[in-house]
Amino acid sequence: MEAASLPVAHDHHGPPPANRSSRVEPALLGMLLFIISEIMVFGAFFTAYFFIRVVNEGATWFPIDGVDLPVAVAGVNTAILVSSSLTLHWAQTSIKAGNRFGMQAGMFTTFLLGLTFLFIQINEYVHVGFAPQDHAQGTIFFGLTGLHGAHVTIGLVLLAMVTWRAFRGHFSAEHHDGLEIPGVYWHFVDIMWIIVYMTIYVL
Amino acid sequence: MITQLRRPGWPRAIFAMLLAGAFSTALSWSVRAAYGHDRFEHLLQAQSIVIIAMIAVPLAFLVGLGCFDYWFYWASGRPTRPEDHSSHGATSWRDYLRPNTDHKVIGVQYIVHSFAFLFIGGLMAMLMRAELAQPGRQFVDASTFNGLFSVHASLLIFLFVIPVFAGIANYVLPLMIGAPDMAFPRLNALSFWLLPCAGILMLLSFLAPGGSFASGWTAYAPLATDQPLGQMFFTIGVQFAGASSIATALNFLVTIITMRAPGMSFFRMPLLVWANFATSLLVVIATPFIAASQFFVLLDWSLGFNFFDSERGGDPLMYQHVFWFYSHPAVYIMMLPGFGIISEVIATKARKPVFGYRMMAFSLLAIVILGFTVWAHHMFVSGMQSWIRIPMMVTTAIIAVPTGIKIFSWLATLWRGVLRLDTSMLFALGFLAMFTCGGISGVMLAMVPLDIHVSDTYFIVAHIHYVLFGGSLFTIFAGVYHWFPKITGRHVDERLGKIHFWTTLVFFNVTFAPMHLIGVEGMPRRVADYADQFATWNLVISLASFGLGLSTLLFAYNVLSSARGGARATANPWRALTLEWQVSSPPPIFNFDAVPTVVGGPYEFGVPGAVHGIFAPTRPAEVPAGAAATPSTTPTPGGSAP
Amino acid sequence: MGEESTRGEPDAVGGPVGRRRISQMLVVGLLASAVGIALGLIIDWFPADGSTQADKIDTLWDVLIICSVPFFVLVVVVVLFAAHDFRMRPGQEQLDGPPIHGNTKLEVIWTAGPAILLVALCSYAYIVLHDIEKAPAAGNERVVEVHAQQFTWTFSYNENGQKFTTAQLYVPEGKSVRFNVTTRDVLHDFWVPAWRMKIDAVPGITTHIRVTPKRLGTYPVVCAELCGLGHAFMRQTAHVLPAAEFDRWVQKMTTRAGGGAAGGGEGGGAAGGGEKVDAKALFMKGDSASGATACGACHKLADAGTVGGVGPDLDTALKGRDKAFIHESIVDPNADITKGFDANIMPANYKDLLTGAQLDALVDYLEEVAGK
Ligand code: HEA
Ligand code: HEA
Ligand code: CUA
Ligand SMILES: [Cu+2]
Repeated sequence: MEAASLPVAHDHHGPPPANRSSRVEPALLGMLLFIISEIMVFGAFFTAYFFIRVVNEGATWFPIDGVDLPVAVAGVNTAILVSSSLTLHWAQTSIKAGNRFGMQAGMFTTFLLGLTFLFIQINEYVHVGFAPQDHAQGTIFFGLTGLHGAHVTIGLVLLAMVTWRAFRGHFSAEHHDGLEIPGVYWHFVDIMWIIVYMTIYVL
Repeated sequence: MITQLRRPGWPRAIFAMLLAGAFSTALSWSVRAAYGHDRFEHLLQAQSIVIIAMIAVPLAFLVGLGCFDYWFYWASGRPTRPEDHSSHGATSWRDYLRPNTDHKVIGVQYIVHSFAFLFIGGLMAMLMRAELAQPGRQFVDASTFNGLFSVHASLLIFLFVIPVFAGIANYVLPLMIGAPDMAFPRLNALSFWLLPCAGILMLLSFLAPGGSFASGWTAYAPLATDQPLGQMFFTIGVQFAGASSIATALNFLVTIITMRAPGMSFFRMPLLVWANFATSLLVVIATPFIAASQFFVLLDWSLGFNFFDSERGGDPLMYQHVFWFYSHPAVYIMMLPGFGIISEVIATKARKPVFGYRMMAFSLLAIVILGFTVWAHHMFVSGMQSWIRIPMMVTTAIIAVPTGIKIFSWLATLWRGVLRLDTSMLFALGFLAMFTCGGISGVMLAMVPLDIHVSDTYFIVAHIHYVLFGGSLFTIFAGVYHWFPKITGRHVDERLGKIHFWTTLVFFNVTFAPMHLIGVEGMPRRVADYADQFATWNLVISLASFGLGLSTLLFAYNVLSSARGGARATANPWRALTLEWQVSSPPPIFNFDAVPTVVGGPYEFGVPGAVHGIFAPTRPAEVPAGAAATPSTTPTPGGSAP
Repeated sequence: MGEESTRGEPDAVGGPVGRRRISQMLVVGLLASAVGIALGLIIDWFPADGSTQADKIDTLWDVLIICSVPFFVLVVVVVLFAAHDFRMRPGQEQLDGPPIHGNTKLEVIWTAGPAILLVALCSYAYIVLHDIEKAPAAGNERVVEVHAQQFTWTFSYNENGQKFTTAQLYVPEGKSVRFNVTTRDVLHDFWVPAWRMKIDAVPGITTHIRVTPKRLGTYPVVCAELCGLGHAFMRQTAHVLPAAEFDRWVQKMTTRAGGGAAGGGEGGGAAGGGEKVDAKALFMKGDSASGATACGACHKLADAGTVGGVGPDLDTALKGRDKAFIHESIVDPNADITKGFDANIMPANYKDLLTGAQLDALVDYLEEVAGK
């Protein structure tokens, strides 16, 4: 994204500057639209959840033959992910104020928190006591949390890049789209998790 | 050699694909080693390797070809390099075989690629018709036949109609709104190169043990989940096609919202832009659902999940709900861009403003909204909760109203115009009649009691082809003939074009009209064999369909020969007002020297002295990117100083 | 309105000439619609109307034809007239049409018009739907269980306490029947075109339709939902009998069910019981009474002169095989699949449909003509 905003060689032959017919940053708009379709992906999985848990006659939910979901552990995990959103916000406000250290520290902690979440999630898979092959409830449990886990992974890759570049001296009070836009995605991943947690574990 | 493999390009792509193949095998084997055998039995077979490869190899291909290079470079945190437009534009045919960031090149890539698949899919239709020419078994067995119509439909929907519209829009839309390119040129290149991945996968399915995927383009569970390996080529292929259309839709939306020329308010946009705006909304919101539905199938099939296993609490009807929540909007994804093309063609060739411009725009949005509320009209006999049928029947019927508004407005646009009846106009007029016919049969299907009888019969097949061929494909032909001079700088042979139109119109109707009858008489769809009572009609249909095939070949010959030796075209042969016609044919590499300013509506024909866009006096092409966003003619500070 | 037309010709419409054209168009349109509707009503679209449901649906169809043909005609006529009157004539290359941007009155009409019509149609369709699905007013209706499986139908009856199964459908004339449809594998769709009604067979749930057959005769039972290789061949027959004859049929079935093996459903008919079975005829024609489909329909067998290509060629497939193998292949077709063919194509219900005698006769016959 920075590329476009750098001044370039004088005798450079290129397109005329496009007219800006809207105030929103194209990259940001793109990310928001992408998030809309991401929400729809989750929507489809929640449809499956709805059919399996509600619509099917004789549909049941956990605990299934004695096995219940580790609500408490997942609760702690939720707290971790939410706090990662806060540290990310800290990083973003810092760079807007031109505080490089704040940004670097913020990004780094965010990354670590995200990693912890993923680790605990995997650990939970190992000990949860049923498999997706056992019953449709297990299928949709692994389906939804797995889908979200995949998004966390993507988010972590993005965060890793941003953090890396943060330490490489990128970003400034003026140019921080490269931090803003992956940030939006990470916040989305967090909010999604809260919904998943509510529907799968709490309700 | 090594440098060859380090530079983005085909050698590196092939090398990467080999690596990916090896990787897939390794992964499959290590997983086999790591897990107990009982549960992951699928992973114990070589199938697992194929499935992993189906995901890994196309991705490796894209990486090798260089679709991601810039992003990798950027993400690796090195100081970003200035954009030299090295990957922009085409000077030789080779430039069409690499990721290219020029929307015009990408448009051509899309269109050519899609038409290739029209012919492949059509060839399969020919085989089906040959088999169906007589009752009993001619020369393909049941499984091959099921494979044929499944691949036929999947190719023509996911690799012809949807992408070809994206292609046409890719070419003309940025020009129409006065943008130098799409908002995300690299994403644009990527979304094209995703398509061959999907297409090749679907074709390769014929090589799979047990034959190609054969559960229809709808791939209903649980049939799809207990099919042989071939099914997975659809399940995974669709993911690539879907990713492609989502990426393109994002690109269109951002381009339309943020890159319109100064003065081009939403209600000064050409209706083709409106149509693609509406379509892109549909794509962004709906497509994730088919992606998910195929994820479910993939998991059930390969890892033994239970989404659709009713014995373990799964629900087969859920598949149909999720699938149709995409696939009904998909049918409008396959029609709205066509509406846009028709508006352009009719307004220009009838020399009149589009009648009721605003209603035309609003009816598009109405169709988008209604389109999300009708999916279950495909499930009237599926055994779902019976009450759902009533609201779905009403919404489905109501969709005829905004569509009707469009049809009638086009008719009113024709009235008292000065009609230039060239090939593209003929196809536009043909579309009006044929699509109305298909739409009306659709409204009949919406009436639940009738649908209970004709659902899953050839009446549906007739409807499908009247809307998809008589609708979408006619608009595509109209569009290709209309913009051919702009894209190639040459005219098509009008005489051949007219022959193509009339043969198509006649054979099309002889092929698909009788299907209404045999459908109502009780011939089910998706059958390789049928009762003798339908023999005569099926023979007629088959013969006519071969004629239809040949007429399509005539089209192919016409465009190919004209692209080489057609008469030179001027910049604006149709005297159109929209911006794409104000630049040379074919347009300059960066579309405009300076972005024009829009001062009026796009179709002000007959209004004395009306203009749509004015162009700043042309200035040297040396434009400093990064110059101020206003189309000023004075060189800007950082600008072209000697 | 015609004044500002930039096409300076007398025949340019709008003026009196134009109005005449429009009335001419109206006439042509009305005539064409009349012809179109007449055609639509004359063509006999539907198969025999075999049920009370059929009548209502066919009437709905007629109404739909009458309502929609005019719209199609309207579009076509306007297109043709426009193409004829307004096409660009030599010398008009630089002309434009009049800049008419719209006309609110027209737009309201063609929005409201179809809307009203469609709502009306929906209400009518709703009434029809209600009628064809409502339970009979009086008396308890007969229930027939329809089991779908790749690629065959079986029908279970429960007549005065006696359960039995057949592969062909028998129903009495004039009495409402409720079909409860289930499936043992994938989706199927139970459809008797002559009755107009169809419903999917969905794993895990029981779907149902109601039919009141009103016309004697035999009609095809068709599977309308793609269910795999044999989808096209998943056909059976429905017999509509006079009430008395139906009771006699029930009699026969219940007695043999009583005598028959557990699970009941030995068809057999005349060929049943102990007496000698003509195995070759059975192979070629099947057994109409129990509905066992003819082996020869799908299998090639030189001795019987059958050429069916759906299943393996028995002359080669059975070469050198013994009785046991042949018997197993008939009662449990999936036990050993001939190379080049897929499982679940041959009906697995012969053990229910054939009597022991029939089965043995068949095995002997096949072993004799093909086995060695
Ligand atoms: C381009 C694609 C396209 C389009 C535009 C449409 C448009 C419509 N379709 Fe169609 N449809 C398909 C593609 C399309 N369809 C496909 C591929 C299938 C089969 C899927 C499968 O099972 O494989 C299908 C199946 C299908 C079914 C399911 C049938 C079944 O499987 O049992 C139904 C049922 O309601 C239906 C209805 C409609 C309706 C009401 C419209 C409306 O949008 C039509 C509106 C247009 C008009 C009505 C004409 C113009 C209007 C006027 C001139 C105004 C006056 C008219 C009246 C008052 C009637 N369609
Ligand atoms: C845009 C979509 C599209 C298009 C263009 C077509 C085009 C054609 N389709 Fe198809 N079709 C579908 C979409 C489409 N179809 C869908 C969605 C289904 C439902 C599938 C399902 O049930 O799952 C279907 C199903 C379908 C069936 C029903 C299969 C069944 O249910 O058993 C049939 C049967 O006749 C058919 C025929 C044809 C024919 C003859 C053409 C012709 O118009 C093709 C003409 C074009 C060519 C022929 C190519 C050009 C010529 C050559 C390549 C040279 C070869 C020519 C000769 C040898 C003469 N189609
Ligand atoms: Cu059973 Cu089709
Ligand atoms: Cu639909």
